[in-house]
Amino acid sequence: MAIVIYIALQLVVMILLAPLVNGIIKKVKALTQKRRGAPVLQMYFDLYKLLNKSSVVSQVTSWIFIATPYIIVSSALTAALLVPVTTFASPIAFPFDIIMLVYVLALGRFFMGLAALDAGGTFGGMGSSREAMISSLIEPSLLVSIFTIGLASQSTSINDIMLAMQSVSLPLLRPAFTLTFFALFIILIAETSRIPVDDPSTHLELTMVHEAMVLEYSGRQLALMELGAAIKQLVLITLIINVFLPHDQFIAYAGIGGLMLSLLVYLIKVIGFSVLIAVFEASTVKFRFFSIPNLAALSFILAFLGFLQYFVLGR
Amino acid sequence: MENYFDVLSALILFSSFVLVANKRIISYIRTFQLQACLIALTAGIMGMNSFLKEGKIDILVVCAIILILKVYYIPRLLRKTYAGVEYKVEKDFFLNIPILIFICCFLVLFAYFSVPTIGGTMAGNVNIQVVNSFSLVLIGFFFMISRKKAIGQIVGFLVIENGIFITAMFSTHGMPFIVDVGVFIDLITAVLIMGIMVTRINDQFETIDINQLKNLRG
Amino acid sequence: MGLIIWFLPLTLVFLSRVISNRNTLHLISASISGLMLLAAGFITNAVINNGVLNYNVFGGLFYVDSVSAIVLDIVILIGLLASIYSIGYLEHELAEGKITPKKIKLYYTFMYSFMFAMILALTVNNMGILWIAIEATTLASTFLVGFYGDKHAVEAAWKYVIICSVGIAIALMGIIFLHLSSVDVIEIASALNWHALLENARDLDTPILRLSFIFIVIGFGTKAGLAPMHTWLPDAHSQAPSPISALLSGVLLNSAMYAILRTLSIVNKNLMDNAFAGRIMVGFGLLSVLTAAIFILTQKDYKRLLAYSSIEHMGIIAIAMGLFTPLSVFAGLFHMINHSMTKSMLFMASGSILQKYGTREISKIKGLLTTLPLTGTVFLLGLFAISGTPPFSVFASELSVLTSVFKAGSPWLGAALIVLLALIFAGIAVTLFKIFYQQSKDLPQKDFAAKLEHNEQKLMSEVMRGETKITDVMRGETNKSGAVVLILLLVLITLMGLYMPVGLSDLIVNAQKIIIGS
Repeated sequence: MAIVIYIALQLVVMILLAPLVNGIIKKVKALTQKRRGAPVLQMYFDLYKLLNKSSVVSQVTSWIFIATPYIIVSSALTAALLVPVTTFASPIAFPFDIIMLVYVLALGRFFMGLAALDAGGTFGGMGSSREAMISSLIEPSLLVSIFTIGLASQSTSINDIMLAMQSVSLPLLRPAFTLTFFALFIILIAETSRIPVDDPSTHLELTMVHEAMVLEYSGRQLALMELGAAIKQLVLITLIINVFLPHDQFIAYAGIGGLMLSLLVYLIKVIGFSVLIAVFEASTVKFRFFSIPNLAALSFILAFLGFLQYFVLGR
Repeated sequence: MENYFDVLSALILFSSFVLVANKRIISYIRTFQLQACLIALTAGIMGMNSFLKEGKIDILVVCAIILILKVYYIPRLLRKTYAGVEYKVEKDFFLNIPILIFICCFLVLFAYFSVPTIGGTMAGNVNIQVVNSFSLVLIGFFFMISRKKAIGQIVGFLVIENGIFITAMFSTHGMPFIVDVGVFIDLITAVLIMGIMVTRINDQFETIDINQLKNLRG
Repeated sequence: MGLIIWFLPLTLVFLSRVISNRNTLHLISASISGLMLLAAGFITNAVINNGVLNYNVFGGLFYVDSVSAIVLDIVILIGLLASIYSIGYLEHELAEGKITPKKIKLYYTFMYSFMFAMILALTVNNMGILWIAIEATTLASTFLVGFYGDKHAVEAAWKYVIICSVGIAIALMGIIFLHLSSVDVIEIASALNWHALLENARDLDTPILRLSFIFIVIGFGTKAGLAPMHTWLPDAHSQAPSPISALLSGVLLNSAMYAILRTLSIVNKNLMDNAFAGRIMVGFGLLSVLTAAIFILTQKDYKRLLAYSSIEHMGIIAIAMGLFTPLSVFAGLFHMINHSMTKSMLFMASGSILQKYGTREISKIKGLLTTLPLTGTVFLLGLFAISGTPPFSVFASELSVLTSVFKAGSPWLGAALIVLLALIFAGIAVTLFKIFYQQSKDLPQKDFAAKLEHNEQKLMSEVMRGETKITDVMRGETNKSGAVVLILLLVLITLMGLYMPVGLSDLIVNAQKIIIGS
């Protein structure tokens, strides 16, 4: 019974909140550029509109093209189940589920790359090759970061890690976690196709990565692709904020009241973090594609230094 | 309290990695400024601490000097020098950036393994702050030899100096006050003179690429 | 009274910015240098009588003992002679149009800042201030090295400021470790005080002190010109104006060596034996002599030759100090004095030669003894002296260094040193032959015209066969005041080789006792 409640809670929160994050980021970015911007809820309207439209599929495509939106959404939702938004509900947790999280997300990316190639357009192929390169550059630092937090909390289960981090006072004031936090932040930026790695708002063919891959999709399928990407983004954000900025230890109530309060705090954290991402995006410029290895190297160094500092300090 | 210093030392170390990853002269001057801010913050925390505990303002004064000198004046000076020289945008380093970063990574590892072998008060327990600041010195040296432009060398020298300064801060909580002040006076003079020399090199060689400086040999 | 030695050079730094009359400036410079010599004499006298001179101002910062008195006297003496020599040198450069009158003012400003920094380094007992002063010497002399502002000078100055600043930064690291090793022993008020450090040397944290010594030797060794950190030295010495080369070589290197010496005595007292520090010092010393030998043998530029010879002699001093026996330290200090005087003399002589011939290349100097009879003679004798030929003083001190090496029970080191010194002698002898044996029949235009009237036919045929060339190198000394300085120095080094004054030997013995600590 508890599991059912947890699953329902996770899915509802993730699906409902994911478009909001995009909305907030877009709004803040618009405000920093002295524009009024689209309403915060714009992505909900877009998704609603797209879901009601039929999609056009190229004749040359295979079943992969049709299946990919569903695979992406389901992989994103699976990932969503692995990262608890609050530690109050009893979660699905098993050893090594953080590794599983990485590869469930990788599965979605793999199919997205395939689907982009499948349509046979020039941009799709370019986008998927770029995406493959970025993800392979990012992966070492992602794994090293995971090792660091896993070692520090003596666990490879996300829920246990979150619980362990709750007992650490002020994690961000420990060098190992500070550096890992920044490493994961760069990874988040790269994974969610944001500036400086990719520009989510561009439709300039030569620079786009993520947008190039979903270029062939339309209607309901496009909605699913967009939703999948938004959920993936929220999953990563949840992972970072709940590991490095845990809040559940401060909530004294038990039961349903504690759960509600915890969710409220979680919501505030997500909004705050979205604003942070937006500010970061607004204050940087997009890198040349061949400079991305430098960024990846920096992220790796952050993760590695974090690892080293953890070893040195032993805490 | 040590927590803050651990984090700050790690961030200062990281800022030197960012410095190595920077391509343009303007961007590494900015990164140097950021590093100086972090150092000033460290000195500020340490200074407040010693002020509240012992009522001494030495370190706070040092912090103020860092703010004026390293955060404000030296970057301004470097920018001015940079604006004054004829500069062609070209590759400023011998190796590409990821390789530079990985070499620096090995320097940190080297520091990590070598500092605990020193013995004495540092024996056995690895002092993370000293490891980080000592790595900063090594990275400063490496930065110096990896850049071809004269201004890059000045920045490298400043990074070495930063590293030495925070090594002193972390290991001994600062040198005697008069020595600190003297070191700053020397530093500012050194940067001024190097800046003037850069301008002269630019006048004579029409570039600030120090690889062109190979007339004197044997 | 002794404090005046700080204010005299500062006064001149100030005056050189204010006074615009060149001749007045020359005169004031020479007379202030003379006053500084008087002050130094006073200080030395006080040191000989009382052992130390320590004023209770600036927190007891002013501190001179026998060790610093020796180096201080060298600084002031060479400074005085260089300032006298500079008058003629600068006037000649001005007449040649190589510099502007404004540059002369600048020259004096930086030269006396340089002097001040060195004097400060030698008269404080705080290792931190000592570091600051030595870094200040680099900064003050950078513009002097790049004085001519041409490509080569700028390059030399850039190398000089970068290499020395970084080297000195390493020394700062060493000073910090020195401070760290003493944190628990010495109270904060007298932190880094050399005297306090020496007194509590036994209680210092040994491993950190060792580390500190390594950093300090590398750092100050860079300024002292020890190989392999010497790369700035030949460039800077050859490109600087000759009186500045004399100061750099004769004075600056000694100041840096003095800083190493101060640390050495603390480290050796702490370790209670000489093996650790000795190995480092002898290693660097031997490497320096070796490097110098290789480069002297193939040298084409006489100012660079002299610069490499400075590296050699610093190496010899480092070896002597590294052995740390009473005899070797005595010999090392004595060698320091002799080398400074001989090398400054040679650099000043080379300055006159450079002004006359306008080239630094050995092969283009011909008929030096006829063109510049006095300077030529001095240069000839000086080259003999610097390569260790009796009766000059360098011979005496080199012999004592070698004796002390053998007495300290390291025959292989002694043998290696003798072989290298012989190589260097050969290298310098070759240069001597090139310069003095090639008797040229080149004639200045004026002389040519005069001779032409006597035996027209013979001379014309010689010119036709290329045996006699007409050059625009005029005969005769250009720098009259410089010639006086050269003769004075020659007399000094000859006398010192034959007879050592009692006061001087007492001073050196006292210094040796302070360093060894017995």
